[in-house]
Amino acid sequence: MTTADEIAGSLGLEAQPSFARRRLNALGRFVVTQPLGTVGAIIIIIMIVGSVFAGQLNTVDPKTSIREAGPLDAPNGDNFFGTDRSRRDVWSRVLYGGRPTLLIGFGAVAITMAAAIVLALAAGFLGGIVDVVISRLIEIIIAVPAILWLLMFTTAIDRSVQTLMFSVAFTFTPIAIRLFRGNVIQERSVTYVEAARVIGASGGRIMFRHILPNLAPLVIVAASITIPAAMLAEAGLTFLGLGLEPGTPSWAQDLGPSNRPYFRLAWWLVIFPGAALALAVLAFNFFGDSVRDVLDPRLRGSGLI
Amino acid sequence: MQAYIIRRLLLVPFTLVLISIIVFIFMRAVPGDAADVRCGAAGNFDQQCFDVVREELGLNENKVNQYFKWLGDIVLRGDFGYSLSQRAHINEEIGKRIWNTAQIGLLSIAFTLLIGIPVGMVSAVRSGKPSDYILRFLAVMGLSVPGFWIATLVVIFPAVWWGVRVAPDWVGWEEPLTHLQILAIPAFIIALAGGGTIARIVRSSMLEVLRSDQVRTARAKGLRESAVVSRHVFRPSMIALFTIVGLQFSLVLGGSVIMESIFNIPGMGLWVISAVGERDFMIIQAVVVVFAAWFLLITLLVDVAYAWVDPRIRY
Repeated sequence: MTTADEIAGSLGLEAQPSFARRRLNALGRFVVTQPLGTVGAIIIIIMIVGSVFAGQLNTVDPKTSIREAGPLDAPNGDNFFGTDRSRRDVWSRVLYGGRPTLLIGFGAVAITMAAAIVLALAAGFLGGIVDVVISRLIEIIIAVPAILWLLMFTTAIDRSVQTLMFSVAFTFTPIAIRLFRGNVIQERSVTYVEAARVIGASGGRIMFRHILPNLAPLVIVAASITIPAAMLAEAGLTFLGLGLEPGTPSWAQDLGPSNRPYFRLAWWLVIFPGAALALAVLAFNFFGDSVRDVLDPRLRGSGLI
Repeated sequence: MQAYIIRRLLLVPFTLVLISIIVFIFMRAVPGDAADVRCGAAGNFDQQCFDVVREELGLNENKVNQYFKWLGDIVLRGDFGYSLSQRAHINEEIGKRIWNTAQIGLLSIAFTLLIGIPVGMVSAVRSGKPSDYILRFLAVMGLSVPGFWIATLVVIFPAVWWGVRVAPDWVGWEEPLTHLQILAIPAFIIALAGGGTIARIVRSSMLEVLRSDQVRTARAKGLRESAVVSRHVFRPSMIALFTIVGLQFSLVLGGSVIMESIFNIPGMGLWVISAVGERDFMIIQAVVVVFAAWFLLITLLVDVAYAWVDPRIRY
């Protein structure tokens, strides 16, 4: 039987590598050309695994005191990262504490991207009054510092993970819209879009089948670079004691007002959660930079992302 | 140009009014009001106490009337009214506090540029060399490591190890040296994040200019490399900065809110945070409007300066 590959071979064409093979090659290229990005990706994976499987990693309930341990025990064999004032295990709190921060980082960025794509398509494609209204809204949101928006949201609604996710997305969406809108306008006047219009494609079809796919690399880049910023935004608010509910294990929470009086006595209370947060943000930034270099080097230093 | 500036200036009040409406709605949606806080703090849970306080603060009035009264006072008399929990005059408080926040803001913008521009320039000129890699790594560190963590470490560890107080109590300009120390540390920490961003932008826009034809010409006619960089590369590559300085300003204000609360600086940020605890929405409203006005005017100035620096820009 003749397979497609054999025919191709007989015609002197090289066999096309399979889909999985091509992905693997692309991955290999990323690892070789972007060492920092690869390290970042590995750290991110470790952190996600660590917080998802926190229960299996020699932890105890992060919210309850351990009877056998004293308050403010230094790191030891039982409590790798020591204990806090209420005899809670810092190791467990650091592992569980990754959950809200990572969740808000990913969730907020997913919402931001979805909202920004829709609004940027509307602004760039429909133009006119829609564009004007969206630009005014962007101006309004940007004019107030993000942290004030966040604390207005948490004061007026509540301090749940969902509310924080939504409000962080709210403050990042305008920046993403500005970025995507320019691209949509550029794409709108490209020859293939004109061609589609000439053969009678509807506005919706052009928008979703022709312009949207070309926005994809930009969206991936913007998303991977916005995640660390979103994590920092949430962390800043929680650190002030105005973000997540007090008591929720989270990195920024443990650096905040409840633990602050004991930092002088117990360095492990300030070092471990802080290092975890800093490392996570750093890893995402390295990874995001590499994604940008691979997908869209023109964006480097555009100032927007 | 003039027409553009006038158009932009006319938009500022429009934007501010919209912001004031949004803020007002937000703050009236807050569960519990200042009456709860005041009566609760006094241990008085009588309905009478709530009624008296609400009457006194004008909280029983129609919401729309409350809004227009508030806005009217600001527009007509520049009066932000009285804070709910302490009955202090907000204008007076702002007068005392805004300058403290402004000092930190200006100082951190200065530090941001002082860190970002040289780092970015060196990184671009030595691009591909080890020093470039180190500086770029540091730039990413600067914008990744949370400022509030650095600040906490800076406050705690010198005190533990050497008994040094990095963050003395607020003194004001009566003791200029201590005052500068109090301001400089938080301003510097805020600037680390901004400096990292600026360094990356300066590096990439300088690299772009370094590869341009005019630079090749300058080199071809035998100009020294230092003269090429200072005369032909520096100015055009600084133009990219203008697009980002406006956003930086907003970040600086946000960073100042956090730093004021760590270093106990009596500025706008510390005030708004304590106001959240006391459900004092008059203060929150005032701070948001003042910050927004401040931001809009700064971005206007930046855009005008942009057109002035780059003659290609026409509005």
